Amino acid sequence: MTTHAGGQFTRRWRKERREWMTFLLFILPNAILFLVFTYWPICYSFWLSMTDWDLLRPAHAYVGFANYRELVSDPSFWRVLRNTLVYAGTVVVLAQVCAFLLAHLLNAPVYGQGIFRTVAFLPHVTMTAAAALVWVLLLHPQYGPLSSVYSMLALQGPNWLESSGLALAALIVVGVWKETAFASLFFLAGLQGMPRESFEAAALDGAGLLARLRHLTLPLMGPTIFFLAITGVIAATKTFDTVAIMTEGGPVYPASSMYVYHLYVLAFREYRAGYASAFALVFFAITIGVVLAQFRFALRRVHYGE
Amino acid sequence: MNRGRIFWASRFPVYCALICATLLLGLPFFWMVLTSLKSAQEVAVYPPRWWPQTLLWANYAEAWSSAPFARFYWNSIVVACAGAALQINGALLMAYAFAIIRFPGKTLLLVAVISTMIVPEEMKLVPNFLLLNKLGWIDTYAGLIVPGIAQAFPVFVLHQQFRQLPGSLIEAAKADGAGHGRILWQIAIPMSKPVLTATALVALLGQWNAYLWPLVITNSSIMRTLPLGLAYLRKQAEEGSAPWNLLMAAAVFSIVPVVILYVFAQKQFVEGIMRGALKG
Repeated sequence: MTTHAGGQFTRRWRKERREWMTFLLFILPNAILFLVFTYWPICYSFWLSMTDWDLLRPAHAYVGFANYRELVSDPSFWRVLRNTLVYAGTVVVLAQVCAFLLAHLLNAPVYGQGIFRTVAFLPHVTMTAAAALVWVLLLHPQYGPLSSVYSMLALQGPNWLESSGLALAALIVVGVWKETAFASLFFLAGLQGMPRESFEAAALDGAGLLARLRHLTLPLMGPTIFFLAITGVIAATKTFDTVAIMTEGGPVYPASSMYVYHLYVLAFREYRAGYASAFALVFFAITIGVVLAQFRFALRRVHYGE
Repeated sequence: MNRGRIFWASRFPVYCALICATLLLGLPFFWMVLTSLKSAQEVAVYPPRWWPQTLLWANYAEAWSSAPFARFYWNSIVVACAGAALQINGALLMAYAFAIIRFPGKTLLLVAVISTMIVPEEMKLVPNFLLLNKLGWIDTYAGLIVPGIAQAFPVFVLHQQFRQLPGSLIEAAKADGAGHGRILWQIAIPMSKPVLTATALVALLGQWNAYLWPLVITNSSIMRTLPLGLAYLRKQAEEGSAPWNLLMAAAVFSIVPVVILYVFAQKQFVEGIMRGALKG
């Protein structure tokens, strides 16, 4: 009796151990890659950010927090940070408004709905490098389609990319174009999930369009808006492709540069690995800060469920 | 008849607004294709002529040979397909393990994986470049592909999916003596096909369009992917040696595979883009 129970126990134990081994075997490939290409770089970044290294000399010179001190007093840092925040804020707000309206149109029962939806989402799947190229042309004061309007009005079209004031605005235009496509996808899904009865009841009660928007649509869309705000801000802060292809941060460098582009310049044009790492870590901290701030804001404002 | 007219009248503003919005969002594609068919002189005409006088399809052939685009194309295909396949393969195994296989403390490990979603790729740029430099992987397919394989997003999405598989089915398969490999292959994967397709498409899209990492990790022209090839041609356009019509032709053939894929698999694309998001 006891030996039988003991045998059963060993058998179960052996089975359990085999289960564990299988688990480890299954996660092994990805786990190694996560350790090598995600966790290790984070740790190494901390160390690098405390060194002064040009990627060429064999030895790293330990400099403590000097990189961070330099960063705080670096006007380029503040400039690209400001550009990035202006870009992120403008793109996210404008794209959400555009996408909200667009989603209502795409939700309307019309002929060719599928075609309209396909075109509307296309900017999101298009290679940014290719899109950025055509935008250079679209915004061109001579070659662009807008210039037919300018010439009709006998105006001199603005040279977006060659003007310090407008280069960032040009990047914002492209950002809004791309983000609107992405956000309208989510707003459309949100609209399709709305309870039809509440809207019909509200309409019967004589609630106007604005009242319905304020008391029904917006509260129900709260989680979607919140989600899009977070993902939108994070995606916007990572903008690199359009800067690299359209302006290279110019016309006079950092006029339209953004955080990640500047990081690239520091690391791979100026070969300042240590300083660039400090730059990257501050970026990481800011990302987390933005997410936390938005969560706190959302907890107070967003009505979940109901 | 009368009802039909009222319907059209009430829908008219909606159609107008929809068409305007679509033209605005579609304008870049329209302009890209039109410019690609113009002659170099016609591109520079002021005020611009919208419709080309003659459609110069030969521009595509000329653009194709103005830089080693056959090679760029091949590189993009290799990187996108191998990258997406390996990414999904690793995520499948890991997600299955986290969802189905017993292991003490696996929740903690899952958190360690999922929380990497908040780490910006850009932060790993310098250290990963240094590591790959040591490994001698600069300018290789391995360098382009391997650092991007382990991603938290597909693990997260597939884990959500596998958790919803009916436990009774898996227990029955186990009772029949099936190991985890067989359960994954014969039950979990076939039952998760839509999610799997969606995740794979998102991975493919990300790889095809990627610009920053290939820019950092390649330095010879034969290892460039399409986005880098376009940027290279743009530099030449600035110097005046490659005109805009060719640049636009190159842009068109760079986005065409993804656009076709998207048009035919729109449902899966949308599902893939939305999934990880809304269930989070």
